[in-house]
Amino acid sequence: MDQDNKLRKPVQVSKLDPKFRPEVLKHKSAGGLNACFACGTCTAGCPITEVFPEYSPKKLAKMVKLGMRRDVLSSRFIWYCTTCHTCEQHCPQNVEFFSILNVLKNMAAKQGYAPSPWIDQTQQVMRTGLIFPADEELVKKREFLSLPVLKSDGTKAKRLLKFTGIAEIKSPRKILE
Amino acid sequence: MNRYALFLGCTTPTQVIQYELSSRWICQHLGIELVDIDDFVCCGINQINLSLEAGLLLAAMNLAYAEDKGLDILTLCAACTGALAEAIERLKDQETRNGVNRKLRIIGLEYNGQTQVKHISRVLYEDVGIDRIKREIKRDLSKLRVAPHYGCHYTKPESAFDGLDDPDNPKTLHQLISATGAFPVQYETLNLCCGGKSFPISKDIVFSLVQRKLDNLMNKKIDCMVVQCQTCYLMYSDQQKVIHEQLKKQPDIPVLLYPQLLGMALGGDLKKDLGFDLNAISLDRLIAKTGLNRKI
Repeated sequence: MDQDNKLRKPVQVSKLDPKFRPEVLKHKSAGGLNACFACGTCTAGCPITEVFPEYSPKKLAKMVKLGMRRDVLSSRFIWYCTTCHTCEQHCPQNVEFFSILNVLKNMAAKQGYAPSPWIDQTQQVMRTGLIFPADEELVKKREFLSLPVLKSDGTKAKRLLKFTGIAEIKSPRKILE
Repeated sequence: MNRYALFLGCTTPTQVIQYELSSRWICQHLGIELVDIDDFVCCGINQINLSLEAGLLLAAMNLAYAEDKGLDILTLCAACTGALAEAIERLKDQETRNGVNRKLRIIGLEYNGQTQVKHISRVLYEDVGIDRIKREIKRDLSKLRVAPHYGCHYTKPESAFDGLDDPDNPKTLHQLISATGAFPVQYETLNLCCGGKSFPISKDIVFSLVQRKLDNLMNKKIDCMVVQCQTCYLMYSDQQKVIHEQLKKQPDIPVLLYPQLLGMALGGDLKKDLGFDLNAISLDRLIAKTGLNRKI
C-alpha cells in the first residue's frame, strides 16, 4: 500500500485534460479550488493521511488543477474520506475541500466508478426509507423493549430521488488500486 | 416543556438500540418531550457521495416534515446532525431552496427555513443546562475516569453550529460528563475521527484509526469511553472487539453512549431503562466500581 519511496511516472502533459478544472469549478460548492495555494494544511490534519500517508487532499487538489481527469476520477482515494471536515476547518484560504471531493465523487459515480456500498445503500433507501432494513428479529427486539414500530416505506424518497439520476448509477468500471 | 421531533436516523434504531432506549429515558426524566414522526427517512449523508442533490433532497424532506409539525429536530447521530445542519445552511440560499421546493411539492412538502436541528447533547447542554443536570444526580459516579469522544459532525462544519463548541478544543461533552460526577480525562488523540464513514470502503483504514485512539487510551487508566454518536460507538466498541480478537490484546475498553452515563447518574434501571446489557463490551467492572455491585 505504501509506495511513497518509489519514483513515480512523470506526468504526461499530452494526457492532461484542460477542461477538467473548469468542469469541476462549474459546481458552486467547488468554487474555492482556485484559492488553494497548496500549503498542505489539509493533508497535515487529515486522519486518513495519518494512518495511510499516501492519501493527500493537497495532492488530489493539485491533480484536479493539472487536469488529471482519469487518474482522479478512477482513483480509490477519492472514496477514502471520512467526512470529518478537518481539512476545511483548518484551511487558511477557506477552501472547502470536502465539498470539492464530493463534486469529484459525483462525477466519478456518473462515469461508473461508484463503490457498491454507496449504491446498495441508496437502493435500500428507495425501498424502505432507511439504509438498513428492519428484519423480524429486530422487530421483536424493539417490541420487547417497548420501542415504537419502525416505519419502512421508501415510496416518497424514491419519487424524490428520481429527479437526481441517483437511481441509475451503476458500478461497472473497476476503481484503480 | 421542550418539545422536539425525534430523528432516529438509520443505524441507531436498528443496530444501537440502547442509544435510543437511554435517550428516550433521560429525555422523559428531564422533561424533554420527543415526538416520533413516521415519515422521517435517511438524512441523506451517504447519498451525497453519489449525488449532492440527492443528499440535499433527503435532508430537506426531513426538515419539511418537522416544519409541518412546527417542531425543531432532536438528533442522536452526529452525522445526521451534520447532514441536516449543513442542509439548513445550503437552503438559506433562496435559489437553492426554490429548486428544492419545486421537487418537494411533488410529494406534498415544502421547507421554509423554520426548522432547526439540535443534537441531544446540545439540547442537554443548552436547554436543560449543566446546573440543572447536577441537581438531578442520584448516584455517585465520582470514581469513574471517562474519556470523551465528540464525533466530527457534532462540531463541524463550524459554520453550521453557530458557536456551539470549538472543534479544535471542544469542551461541551467534558462538561456534560463532569455534570454526572464522573471525571473527564483529557488525551492527545481527543479529536481523532472514528473513521466510520470510511468503514464501508476500507476496513483497514478504520482499524488503524480506532487502534490509534485505543493505544493512546490504554495508559490513561480510564474506566470507559463516552461517545455521542452510534457510528463512533460501533467503531470503538464492536470494531474494538474485532481488532482485539485479531491481536489477542486485552483488556477491552468499555464504551458508553452519553445518555447511558447520564441515565446511570440519574438513577435509571441499567438494563430496562438504559440497555447496559446490549453493549458489546461488558460494563460489569465499570458498574462494580460505582458501588452499584449489580451484574447486568
